[in-house]
Amino acid sequence: MIATPLTGLLGVGVLLALLLLGMPIGIALGLVGVGGLALTLGLEPGLLKGGIVLFETLSRYELGTLPLFMLMAHLCFAAEASRDFFDAAARFLGHRRGGLAIASVAGCAGFGTINGSSLATTATIGLVALPEMRNRGYADSLATGCVAAGGTLGQMIPPSGSLIVFGIIAEQSIGSLFTAAIVPGLTQMLSYFLVIAVLVRLRPQLAPPSPRAPWSQRLAALKRIADLGILILLVIGGISIGWFTPPEAASVGAVGALLICARRRRLNRRTLVNALEETLKTSGLIYLVVIGALTFSVFISVTGLTEAIGAQIAALGAGPVTTMMLIAAFLLVVGSVLDGLALMLLTTPILLPIVAQLGLSPIWFGIFLVRAMEIGFVHPPLGMNLYVIQGVAKDVPLGRIFRGVLPFLAADLVHLMLLIVFPVIALGLPRWLSP
Amino acid sequence: MIQAPSLLRRVLVVVGGGALLLAMAVDALAVVGRHTGIPLLGSIEIVQAAVLVSGGMALLMATLAGVHARVHLLVDRAPPLLRDVLARLGLACGAVLYLGLLVASLWIAADLWNGFEESELLRLPYRPLRVFTAAAAFALLLAFLVQALGRRPR
Repeated sequence: MIATPLTGLLGVGVLLALLLLGMPIGIALGLVGVGGLALTLGLEPGLLKGGIVLFETLSRYELGTLPLFMLMAHLCFAAEASRDFFDAAARFLGHRRGGLAIASVAGCAGFGTINGSSLATTATIGLVALPEMRNRGYADSLATGCVAAGGTLGQMIPPSGSLIVFGIIAEQSIGSLFTAAIVPGLTQMLSYFLVIAVLVRLRPQLAPPSPRAPWSQRLAALKRIADLGILILLVIGGISIGWFTPPEAASVGAVGALLICARRRRLNRRTLVNALEETLKTSGLIYLVVIGALTFSVFISVTGLTEAIGAQIAALGAGPVTTMMLIAAFLLVVGSVLDGLALMLLTTPILLPIVAQLGLSPIWFGIFLVRAMEIGFVHPPLGMNLYVIQGVAKDVPLGRIFRGVLPFLAADLVHLMLLIVFPVIALGLPRWLSP
Repeated sequence: MIQAPSLLRRVLVVVGGGALLLAMAVDALAVVGRHTGIPLLGSIEIVQAAVLVSGGMALLMATLAGVHARVHLLVDRAPPLLRDVLARLGLACGAVLYLGLLVASLWIAADLWNGFEESELLRLPYRPLRVFTAAAAFALLLAFLVQALGRRPR
C-alpha cells in the first residue's frame, strides 16, 4: 500500500526510538518488521512473512553453528582453558618489559579462538590477567586498557558469534567469513603488541620487568594448552581448507571440547548441564534478535529504502574508499548509542546492498562491520568492555580505564582505515585458499 | 523478573540440550563418515529438526531468564518507575509480536497440513515441526505475558 523509501525511513526512526526506550532488540526489530510489512503489503502477507521467517530461521541448518560453538566455549571454560592460555603466554613473555600486557592480549586472542564474544573474553581474561599485572607493578591504565582492547579480539578471531549472525542475516558463507577474519584478527593483535611496545618504551615505569620463568615451567605451560591448540587448529584449519563446513566444525569442536573436559577430569553431569543451560540461554537471546532482524530486513527491502540511499550516494560521485570512510564514521557515531548487535542488525539490511552496488565484497563488508562494532566496545558512552573491566577491577576509576584504552583505540581506527584502503587484508586468505 | 520454576528449567535444558547434543553427534558422525567413505545420508535433515527443537527451547529459556539484549543508554538513567513501565511495555510488545507469529504459524501449518511436506532423503514429516513451531510461539507469548504482568519485570 505505502511501500516507499520514506516508509522505510520512518520504520528505521521508529526502530531507533523503540531501541532507545529499552525494548528488547529482537522484539523491536520484529515488531517494526511485521508491522511495517502489514502496513506496506497488507495484514495477511505481513503476518505470513513473519511466520515463514520464524520457521525457516529455526529450522536452518547453519543456525546450529552458533549454539554448538557456544557449547564448545562453555566446555573449554569448564576445562579452565582461559587461565591456561594466559599462563602460557605469560611464562614466555612475562619477563620482558610490558610482557604481561602482551601476554594478556595474546591470551585474549587465544581465548577468542574458542569463544566468539568480546564481553566474555574481556571478563574471563580480565579475571586472570588483571590481578597478575597489578601485583607485578603494572600501571592500572596499561593493565586495564590492554585487556579491554584485547577482549574485542574475541569478536573477530574465528569462531566469532558476530560473524555467524552476519552470515545468517546477509546469507553469506560463514566459512568464508571465518577465513577472511584470520588476517584482520592477527594484524589487530599485532597492532596492540606494537602499542604496548611503544608505550613501555616511552614510559618504562608503566610496566616493570618480571622474573624470567625457567624453560621447565614454559614447556609445562605449553603442554597444558597442547590439547586446546590441536582442537583450535582442527576447527579453524578444517574450515579454511574445506575439510568441513562451519556447522560441522562446530560439532567437531564441541565433541573435542567434551573429550578435553573428560581428559582433564572436569566432565560431570553438573558441568554438562551448566554448559547446556548457558548455551541455550545465550543462543535464545541471539535467535530472538536474528528472527527480528530477518523480518526487519524483508520490510526494508520492500520499501526500496536501500536503493534510494544507494542512488543518493551514487549521485555524490564519491569512490568506494571515500564512501566506506563515510560509512565507517556513521557506524562509529551510531555505535556510540547502540550496542554492537543492534548496530549490525539495524545497518546490515540497509548498507549491504549499497556496498554491493559499490562493487565491494559482502564478505569484506562483514569483517569491516564487525571491526567497527569492536571499536564500539571500547569507546564511551557505551564501551561495554570498559564496564566489564571496571567490574573486575572495582577500585580503578572508569576515567583511568578509558585513558588506558585510548592508545589502543587509536590503533583500532588506523587498523579500520587500513582495512578499507586494503581490502586484501580480509580477502587475501580466502582467495588464496579457494581452489 | 519472574524466575522459571526449576522443574520447567530442567525440562527445557533436557529437551533443548538433548536436541543440541543430538545435532552435535549426528554432524560429527557425518564428518567422520564422509572422510572414511561411509557417508551418513540425511544427516542435515536430522540436524535441521534437532536445531529447530533446541532453538525453540533456547528462545523460551532466554525469555524466562529475562536475558534478552536491550539498549541501556537512556533507560538506565530513567527514574525507577518509568524504567519499570518501559520494561513492562517492551515485554507486552513481545507478547503482541509472538501472538502475531503464533497466528501466522497456525495459518501456515493449516494451509500446508494436507500437503504432507517431508524432507527429501529421510522423508521426515514436517507436520510435527510446524506444530512444534506454533507451540513454541504460544509458549513465548505466554512467557512474555507473564513477565509483563509479573511483579518485578527487568
